[in-house]
Amino acid sequence: MNQNQLLKVQARAPFEIYYQGDAYSVTATNKVGTFDILPGHADYFSIIDPNSEVIIGTEKEDINISASNGIVCVRDDEVLLFLNI
Amino acid sequence: MRRPNDIKKDTEEIETVEDLTSVFESLASTQVAKIKNKVLMSQEFFNLLWSKYTALRVDDDKRITGGGHQDNGRNVYVIISAEAGLSGDIDQRLIETVLRDYDPKTTDIVVLGSHGAQQLMQRGVGYIRYFRVPMTDSYVNVGPVIETIRPYRHVKVYYEEYISLGAQDIKTIDLIQQIQTMTKDAPDSAEVISTQETIFEPSLDEIADIMEEAMLTLAFAQAILESGLAQDASRFNAMAVAKKRAMELVSQYTLEYHRSKRAENDRRMREVMISLKRKERVRTDA
Repeated sequence: MNQNQLLKVQARAPFEIYYQGDAYSVTATNKVGTFDILPGHADYFSIIDPNSEVIIGTEKEDINISASNGIVCVRDDEVLLFLNI
Repeated sequence: MRRPNDIKKDTEEIETVEDLTSVFESLASTQVAKIKNKVLMSQEFFNLLWSKYTALRVDDDKRITGGGHQDNGRNVYVIISAEAGLSGDIDQRLIETVLRDYDPKTTDIVVLGSHGAQQLMQRGVGYIRYFRVPMTDSYVNVGPVIETIRPYRHVKVYYEEYISLGAQDIKTIDLIQQIQTMTKDAPDSAEVISTQETIFEPSLDEIADIMEEAMLTLAFAQAILESGLAQDASRFNAMAVAKKRAMELVSQYTLEYHRSKRAENDRRMREVMISLKRKERVRTDA
C-alpha cells in the first residue's frame, strides 16, 4: 500500500497510548451513526458516542478500543483520538 | 534483667515488623515510580488536547474562565488526603493548613480520602461531601467531585505536593488558575480550525464544551495523582524510619539477649560452684 494512502493515527487516554502509527481506516460511532475515516477525509471534529467501540484498521490487524467517551479530530490525514477522558 | 526467652520472643516480633516495613517501603517506592510516569503521560495528553482546543475559533468570553455556570455565592475547599494511614504526618499538616484559612460562614469543605475526613471529625469540623480517593494507578474519575463543586464561586484545592522522595509539601490551587498555568506550559497552537473548512458533529460549541470539561477533569485528576505521589513518598519515608528503628531495636535486643544468656549461665555456674563447695565442706567436716 502506498504511504500516501495511510492515515497517521494517535489514539490515547490520559494515562495510556492505545495506538500510535499508520492506519488505513478509523471507524467510530457518534450521534448520527457509525462513520469511517479513510485517507483524504475532510477536516472533521466529532464527539464519540459514550460506551462505543473505535476500530483502527492497520496493515497487520484491526485494533478495537472500548471508549467510555471521546473526541476525534481529523486534519490533513492525521487522526487524533482523545478517548476515555 | 529480662529472661532470654522473653527477649528472643520480642526480637522475633520486631523482626516481623522490620520485614513488614521493608515490604511497605518497596511498595511505596514502586508506586512513586509508577505514578510519576502517569503524571507525565497525563500532561502530554493535556498539551495535545489544549493545542486542538486553542485552534478552535470559539468566543474567548465563553472559554474556560468565562464559566457561565450557576453560582451559589459560596466558596468550597477541596481537600485531597490519603485513603489509608501509615503515611506519616502529611495529612495532619494538610488539615492544619486548611483550618488556618477556613471560615465556615463563607466556605464549605469537600474531602477526598478517609484519613482527611477522620482528621476533620476529630477536630469537630464538618464537611458537605466525602469521596473515596480512587486507586491512583488506574484512571481517576473525578466526575462526581466536579459535579459537587460546580455551583461554587471559588474552588480552592488543598493537596500534597511531591517535591522529591525526601520532601513533600502542602499546596493550594485555584482550579481555574491551575488550568491557566497548565496551558501556559503547553505549546500554543499555530493552526486555526474553523467551521469554514472543518465539519463539526454535533457542533463547534458542544465540542469546545466537552474539551473544557475534559481539561478541568484532567487538571483535577492531576492534583489527585500528585497528592497520591506525595502520600506514597511520605509513606516511603515513614516506613524507612520505622525500618531503621526496628533494626536498631533488633540489635539492641540481640545484645540484651546475649547479656541475659550470659548472666543466666553465670548464675547457674555460681549455683553449681556453691553446691560443690557445700558438698566439699560437708565431706571435710565428716
